[in-house]
Amino acid sequence: MKDLFTVASFTIKDMIKRKSFIISNLIILAIIVLLFNVPNILNAIMGDNTSSQNTKILIVDEDNIFEGTLEQINQMDIGYEATIATETITFDEIKQKIDNNEIDDALVITKKDGQINMQYIVENLAMVSQMPQSLTNAISTIYSNLSISKLGLTPEQIQTLSGNFNFEMIQTEEEEVQGNQFAMMMMSLVLFYAIYFCAYQVSSSITTEKTSKIIETLVTSTKPKTIVLGKTIGIGVVGLIQIAAIIITALISSALFLEEGALDGIVDFSTITPFLGFITAIYFILGYATYALLYALTGSTVSKPEDVQSANGPIAIIAVIGFYLAYFTMMNPTSELNKLAAILPISSPFCMPFRVMMGIATNSEIAISIAVMLVTILVVAQISIKIYSQAILNYGSKMSLKDIFKMYKNKNV
Amino acid sequence: MGLKIENVSKRYGEKVAVDNISLEMNEPGVFGLLGTNGAGKTTTIRMLLGILKKDSGEITWNGKEVKRKNVNFGYLPEERGIYPKVKIFDQLVYFAELKGMKKQQAKEEINYWMGRLKVEEYKEMLAEKLSKGNQQKVQFITAILNNPELIVLDEPFSGLDPVNTELLKDVILELVKKGKYIIMSSHQMSSIEEFCSDVVIINRGKTVLKGNLKEIKDSYPAKRLEIDAKQDITADIENAGMKIEKNIDNNYEITIENEDKAHALLKTLVEKGVVLDKFELKKPSLNDIFIEKVGA
Repeated sequence: MKDLFTVASFTIKDMIKRKSFIISNLIILAIIVLLFNVPNILNAIMGDNTSSQNTKILIVDEDNIFEGTLEQINQMDIGYEATIATETITFDEIKQKIDNNEIDDALVITKKDGQINMQYIVENLAMVSQMPQSLTNAISTIYSNLSISKLGLTPEQIQTLSGNFNFEMIQTEEEEVQGNQFAMMMMSLVLFYAIYFCAYQVSSSITTEKTSKIIETLVTSTKPKTIVLGKTIGIGVVGLIQIAAIIITALISSALFLEEGALDGIVDFSTITPFLGFITAIYFILGYATYALLYALTGSTVSKPEDVQSANGPIAIIAVIGFYLAYFTMMNPTSELNKLAAILPISSPFCMPFRVMMGIATNSEIAISIAVMLVTILVVAQISIKIYSQAILNYGSKMSLKDIFKMYKNKNV
Repeated sequence: MGLKIENVSKRYGEKVAVDNISLEMNEPGVFGLLGTNGAGKTTTIRMLLGILKKDSGEITWNGKEVKRKNVNFGYLPEERGIYPKVKIFDQLVYFAELKGMKKQQAKEEINYWMGRLKVEEYKEMLAEKLSKGNQQKVQFITAILNNPELIVLDEPFSGLDPVNTELLKDVILELVKKGKYIIMSSHQMSSIEEFCSDVVIINRGKTVLKGNLKEIKDSYPAKRLEIDAKQDITADIENAGMKIEKNIDNNYEITIENEDKAHALLKTLVEKGVVLDKFELKKPSLNDIFIEKVGA
């Protein structure tokens, strides 16, 4: 146990003291801070438009067709700050106002032969190809209201014209899904990369020890089991610290740099609970342990850094299959396939936290999924440690699957 | 008591790497393990240290099976290995802790041995910045810093300059004086002759010669005679039925068939009153014996 701690703590210190580790992590954190500052940076570059993000529009109703009702546009919250003119304003005058940045666009309304004509004037048609739908709808609504009001109808009659619709969404399935699917898929992707890359480092670390020939000294100093598990724990702890640093930086950045409610459309914060955090951490640890131990096996079968990638190929394929199984079935989270993905050990780390987030994972499903993962970890650990113990002293070429299988079957180990 | 290897064998598939090897070390000293490349030395060492499982046979230390918990051993592998991106002191502390030492005790031992092997100035340096020889000395410290009873040194002098070779030899002699059991594998026969009381020569996994080095050498008849005379004695040598290989200013190198003829020649020369500065029957060196045993 003491040796396990010694190997884990040496692995942690070795990783976090490296310049490459420090620099790459600082870059990641800086990118996160930068991403949260994108709106502020854009404002700084394009000028502070926060006070008037609305398009300034001059509406010229020289024939007074709308009888002064166009002012309603300013109350309609469709992104326009309208100035209404009922006198004639020439195209050159409008052009000058646009050039002087007094207005962004202009709308000239005229009536001829019973036809209402609208000219939408912009600085450059390349930027606006057609009259915005919101403005068209607003003007159409204002005109309809004006016309209806002239019919001498009672308020009740007017209300029947506009209709009083109440829309409601109802699903046929019993399970109710909460949260935002896009956010969950993004987070699933992040969890996949976190697990995958942390686990991959176990493989690189083992091969590096073979390459540098330190392994022979190491295996005479402690048990192979201690090396594999200590290394896995050490790299896992560093991975957790990295993820924690990323999450904390993201939270602080969002609090400092984003306007309140800016992420409401992307993340349903009501679904992010301490229990979800706990479950996510558990699945990160279990998923990482499974893949890290598999990578320990492949890492011990090669002795050159250039062979690591090809040796890790089969595990990478398993990981990608697991991830996509979770990712695609998440589009239909109540499907049987998604339930299966939450139980299968290759996909459950990328799937179950999000079923929990969506509120569709039952306690028994979580318990079964965790039990399956624990059994898988024990089996994988047993196989990996046995192969590692024999393969680490193999300095020849990359071992084939047949060699690995033979080693596992060798009882004399 | 001590170390006992009895009838140990190891196969890799169809290939027999070690075939029924036995050796015994009953008192502190240096035991020489000799053999050509691929003879089975490293496999024997790995089985001895428990890195590899033997197919058959027994390996015991003071009557107990050799396991990490039963034996406090140190090992300098032939393949030199070091963490290139870790400071020397930090990795020595790491290995000391893995070998069960307390941190403070480890630091004291490391400081002593770094001073003794003249590498203390590299303490805070990354290993990759050290020369190969200094890396080797650091690895030697790793092998001995836990004060092991049994030390296995696989090619300890390869890659060292003469100054550092002498330094390491002194340390090995110091360890022998402290009662350590040392098994040394080397291709440098002069080093083996200098240190080892007993040797085993392995060829293709099999023991071809084993025993006390002096007894082995004594068992080989002298085949060469060297004479440094004050006068020309060519006729006397030829009359005695011996063949002169070289003669430079009455310094003769002679091939002999048996030692009796040499003794007879000496008697003749003394009777004639020839003044001799040197008359030496040359026993075969370990190198000669090694080549004879495995060179064919």
